[in-house]
Amino acid sequence: MTMSPTLDTSDPEDGTGTPGDSRARRGHGHPPTRRPKRRGGRTAYLYVLPALILVVGVVYLGIGYNGWVSTLDWNGIDPNPESVGFDNYAKIFSDSIFWDSLSHVAIFGVIVILVQMALGLTMALVFSGPIFGSNIYKIIVFVPVILSPAAVSIAFRQLLSPDGQVNEALRFIGLDVLTNAWIADPKTALIALAVINIWQWTGFSFILYQASVSQIDQNLYEAAQIDGAGTWRIIRSIVIPQLKGTHATLALTGVIGALKTFDIVFLVTGGGPGRSTEFLTTYIYKQAVQQFNSGYAAALAMVLLVLALTLTAFQMRAYRFGED
Amino acid sequence: MFGRVSLRQRLVYQVVATVLVIPFLFPLVAIVAISFSGQGPLANYTAVITQTPFFTFLLNSAVISAGTIALIYAVTMLAGFAFAKLKFSGRKLLFNAILVGLVLPSIALMVPMFIIVRQLGLFNNFLAVILPLSAVTVPLTLLLARNYLNGIPDEVIEAAKIDGATSFGTLVRIVIPLSRPITAVIIVWAFLQAWNEFFLPLLFLQDQNLQVLTQVPQFFTSTYGSDVPKIFAALVLVCLPIVITYLLLQKFFEKGLTAGAVK
Repeated sequence: MTMSPTLDTSDPEDGTGTPGDSRARRGHGHPPTRRPKRRGGRTAYLYVLPALILVVGVVYLGIGYNGWVSTLDWNGIDPNPESVGFDNYAKIFSDSIFWDSLSHVAIFGVIVILVQMALGLTMALVFSGPIFGSNIYKIIVFVPVILSPAAVSIAFRQLLSPDGQVNEALRFIGLDVLTNAWIADPKTALIALAVINIWQWTGFSFILYQASVSQIDQNLYEAAQIDGAGTWRIIRSIVIPQLKGTHATLALTGVIGALKTFDIVFLVTGGGPGRSTEFLTTYIYKQAVQQFNSGYAAALAMVLLVLALTLTAFQMRAYRFGED
Repeated sequence: MFGRVSLRQRLVYQVVATVLVIPFLFPLVAIVAISFSGQGPLANYTAVITQTPFFTFLLNSAVISAGTIALIYAVTMLAGFAFAKLKFSGRKLLFNAILVGLVLPSIALMVPMFIIVRQLGLFNNFLAVILPLSAVTVPLTLLLARNYLNGIPDEVIEAAKIDGATSFGTLVRIVIPLSRPITAVIIVWAFLQAWNEFFLPLLFLQDQNLQVLTQVPQFFTSTYGSDVPKIFAALVLVCLPIVITYLLLQKFFEKGLTAGAVK
């Protein structure tokens, strides 16, 4: 009720007997059935073909090939790899590094998703308030989103080093107790990665919340104010429930994003110290590139893929996506 | 939401906003400040440009970005137009099949990509970067483009058809001119992906003359020892084109980014 109705271009609305309707069948040779198709036919597939070739060629072929490699004991080079059936998968379930990686991803994911959503929403509300220079605030929060993860990683390795700028700033404001070795300390390394991710990606949550906050019907606020509701009450009872769609989108993209996270982990901690920040993605990379266990890496990749698909499907159902 | 606002409330908002933004501003300021430290800004930035193959890498990054943008844009608009405005059987199925790519961690494709690239003899060929990068980016750009093109009234398409335009003519002469905001989004997004990519060029372009700008900071860690101010000068130079592009297209970019995700 609050969203502006987008132009519905569904077929029934076109009615019967518009000029376009009769012309649409011209040259198709279809019997004049009442099929809801007005145009396209075979040529439509030509438009879709390049995208299909590209995505199927790289993504699906890749997945299929990966599936095959995952049944091999292979170093990636040997022309005669040995087939081992599902042994690699069986190995995964008794591999403690796999389970540790999974729990790191889960902890990281929960922290970054919740903090980014809370911060993004707070900023969307505050920055749309009566403040000067709101566009500058907006740019500052969004710029990290567009920076190269490789550049961000290199920068934060320095900023978070023991004599780096973060500790310097903490000492400057008298919070010496909080200074830490951050990425060199197994106890804080995962948190440090979460902080970097939050720094880089909160702008994304912010932009989405900002767009959806601006779409909330002003009348709702007025009605609430007449009823005597204060700002806090309005946020809790109107704003947060009205943004359901955005919460769902951010939770979904956040879960996928956490599972995909690779660059910053690999470049900032490399999964260390020890294995304290090993992610599934970094573990796969190490198995494939550094240890030449192509088969095992492929099996891990298949598990990661199934995990990503399952969590996405589960969430889409829970949030009722795709129901127009 | 904000009716009458007193001066005190304004002040509170301003202070809260500033406190919120400081942790985000601090690393940005620190990065620039470090790049000015040591031997000073002039020496640091000159070193980045003269002591590394900076311009070769810049050119390579530009060529890869241009190729990626062109491929992604063409593929996205063709498919987006069909999925939004043409009706054909299997439409939903094919669309969803492409969207699966959104979920896929690209690291999961590393082993097969490595082997496919080797089989096709694409090592040290820009296509080894452009094709995978486009394949993992198209699902998102297509989703955004389809949602945007859905908003173009069918009447416009019908009118073009009555005037005798082919579907391709309609796409080129009617739909594309109406798609400037989403065009900006696709171009910026594809540019971001290509310019910021680190691992694909590292893995597939091993010839040093073919490497890209994201490798420049490495020169001051390996060849010349770890020279932090120069590394940071390199970081600033690598990020600058992206930031400028974003600032120029800010309005379009944010509108389009939210178009697909907020409904």
